[in-house]
Amino acid sequence: MAFTNLMLVFIFNLLYLSLSSGIEIPEEFQKSNHTNNWAVLVDTSRFWFNYRHVANVLSIYRSVKRLGIPDSQIILMISDDMACNPRNPRPATIFNSAHEQINVYGDDVEVDYRGYEVSVENFIRLLTGRVPPDTPRSKQLLTDEGSNILIYLTGHGGDGFLKFQDSEEVTSQELADALEQMWQKKRYNEIFFIIDTCQASSMYEKFYSPNILATASSLVGEDSLSHHVDSAIGVYIIDRYTYYVLEFLENVHPNSKRTMSEFLAVCPKSACLSTVGVRKDLFNRDPSKVPITDFFGSVRPVILTTDPINIVETPKRKKKTENKTKVQVKRDYVPQFPMHLVQVT
Amino acid sequence: MWASASFVGVLIIIGMPLWWKTTEVYRVSLPYEKISSFKPLSHFVTTELKVLANDDATASKIVSEIQKAFAESDIIKIKIEKTVMSERQQHILRSVVDMEKAVEELASTLDLDQENIFHVVQKKSLSHNIWVGNERIMFFDDEKASETIVKALDGWIYQTSVLRGARSDTPDQARSTRFPPESAYHITLSIVHPRPDTMQVVWNAAEAVEDYIGSFVDELSSLHNFTLKSQWLHLLDFEFQAREIKEASEWGRHFAVRQDRLSLLLTRLEERAATHVSELSTINLALYIVPCDKAPIIIYDNEGRKNPLSIQAFMSPKWGGVVIASPPAEQCSQQVREFEPSVGQVMGAFVSHLRELLGITKKDAIEGAHLEPLRSVSPRRWEVDALLRIRTLEQVTSAERTLQSLAQLLEEISNIVINDEVGASIAAAVSELEAGAGEGAGADAARAGRAHAHAQRAFTHPSLLALLYFPDDQKYAIYIPLFLPIMFPVVLSLRILLLWFMGKPVHKEKTD
Repeated sequence: MAFTNLMLVFIFNLLYLSLSSGIEIPEEFQKSNHTNNWAVLVDTSRFWFNYRHVANVLSIYRSVKRLGIPDSQIILMISDDMACNPRNPRPATIFNSAHEQINVYGDDVEVDYRGYEVSVENFIRLLTGRVPPDTPRSKQLLTDEGSNILIYLTGHGGDGFLKFQDSEEVTSQELADALEQMWQKKRYNEIFFIIDTCQASSMYEKFYSPNILATASSLVGEDSLSHHVDSAIGVYIIDRYTYYVLEFLENVHPNSKRTMSEFLAVCPKSACLSTVGVRKDLFNRDPSKVPITDFFGSVRPVILTTDPINIVETPKRKKKTENKTKVQVKRDYVPQFPMHLVQVT
Repeated sequence: MWASASFVGVLIIIGMPLWWKTTEVYRVSLPYEKISSFKPLSHFVTTELKVLANDDATASKIVSEIQKAFAESDIIKIKIEKTVMSERQQHILRSVVDMEKAVEELASTLDLDQENIFHVVQKKSLSHNIWVGNERIMFFDDEKASETIVKALDGWIYQTSVLRGARSDTPDQARSTRFPPESAYHITLSIVHPRPDTMQVVWNAAEAVEDYIGSFVDELSSLHNFTLKSQWLHLLDFEFQAREIKEASEWGRHFAVRQDRLSLLLTRLEERAATHVSELSTINLALYIVPCDKAPIIIYDNEGRKNPLSIQAFMSPKWGGVVIASPPAEQCSQQVREFEPSVGQVMGAFVSHLRELLGITKKDAIEGAHLEPLRSVSPRRWEVDALLRIRTLEQVTSAERTLQSLAQLLEEISNIVINDEVGASIAAAVSELEAGAGEGAGADAARAGRAHAHAQRAFTHPSLLALLYFPDDQKYAIYIPLFLPIMFPVVLSLRILLLWFMGKPVHKEKTD
């Protein structure tokens, strides 16, 4: 009897100690690695009736640019050209609201992957960095160990997959593996993953790499719905989740003190009609203490120069003597009739 | 019966192993044991130190102090040699007062050009405890300066904290500031002129880049190749949101710009700086010419303190540096405005940015030690040595970590193909790393560079995505509808075959 009591006390102490010795990683430790922000914005669906997906991704692109991330650090992948689609009654424009106030296509949109270039292979190559050797720099994700990446996917999805271009799919396992390869190669500091498709949360269920915060517009078994139709254009113009996200981001400016937990709560079930899913267990920090600008703004550290060099003597670089002998090039006309080629018999 | 037997034979006995063999993931055999035996945190650098003093006692004391200080250091191993100075050397040091001249005279007796060898020489009646200049030599006063010597060796010459940061898993301040190691960089100097119609700017960019930056990067040619470019960006302006502050000066005012506004200037510059022209990393240096109506601009830091220097400049880690040049008031009051920024001042700021971006860190002040300030663009000789050591360590540990993560990935994800090219790169990287370690000493710079390049090539080879559409969980979704209908009767007939094989009667004999 006494022995079991002793054992119980012992076990209880062990439990208490193990629960109370959880180490909290201080905020500054994670934050000190963060040096720049990148964004990967992908729209995966084709055809005129999927206008709203293009409007989704371009609206996020505009917000991210407005908050300071430069084009050189945004990879924009759009599968189909809606602005110049022959069915577009407002050519060269894409609107994200029936009021047609903002043309999200604009003058300075920089699409990095367009049309059929948006494929699963290109997407995974972009993420893992295994691009073919002649890929231009603007089409590569040149992140390093200090980069925070915002990944936004939109299109048609299902349980465990996302449809690309109406002909292929990327599975949640492939995406999870791609992110793990990024982690192994130290290609990111933290990732914020947003996905706005049907049954979206199935895409982040398989993630297993650290420092990822994920949110989805709907849970498995639910459909994400679109917001409203523009009768002048004739298609659904924007999706519900992205509409409310944009409403939130409109009130965010580059010096904002809003936190990520406010972002994660942006669309309640009454507004979105689908339940927004969040995955926080892979993320070290507490989202209520993480500012929005950690993912959405341009955080470039700036160090003022306090000790410029006082150059006393003007340097002169030793010129490498180039052996260029100027040869007088003799030019003359080629004979009009190539008689020299004809054998004169 | 024979028919069933032949079906079973072909499908199960020949077919199954054949299928298994032909659908296995092609992987060149890799030296997994060697890769897992790498210990990135065990690498260190070696260097030589020569101590010269007037008498043996001083020399021994200094040597023992240094040895004691660096005995437990796992990051640097110093081979110390002590000598008593010859009469001639002592005479030079007694008679020559000017430090630079003393170094020059002494250079004839000591070989100061040998890389990775540093000299600690006694020179009596110094104004500080120690004096360090541009060459690989440090003067100390007497044996009481031993503590200062150790601090200077640790913080300035060998930079053990930066070495430790280069080797560690998580980046430190220095590693977050400098560009990642590559074989070549582009340096682009952009002169940004927002209002070319109101002012003429006289500046020979090509010559400035060639002379000043060119002379600087020539000293680092053993580490990286550099391509120097310059460009003019007209009509690129930026709204600084500056506050006008009236003051008593030739302008009568200045415009205060907050430090947190400056990162948006970099975004604006990136739009037109054309950094994507090449596949190599570009270090951007930008000279922003402030138009007359917005001049002069003074940067205020985050605490609201004014930048007191005559040159307003800032730099951004892993990006580049910007100098903001404001024209003088007399130029702006004239009809034809012409502004010639001072080349020496501007390039002085740019070279200080370049130093930090390429890995030469700032030196903190040490009590009792005097570090001769830089007066030319060339880096100090021992700084180049230190940079070589830092980059070597960084590349060796990065190569090992890359190979180890590749091996771990191959274990985790079973359908990645390793073809011959990738296998060759990995083998080359492993052999370079082994050769370096086999010498028992520190790391060799060229070998480290090659190992790093091989490991990078292996990890980022485009072919590692070959089996993308055939992940394990979907493999069976393809095989089952194809082969199940065929295997069904074959498996069922196995029972009958077995009975027949064992000699039992197959058909039930009709008994009457």
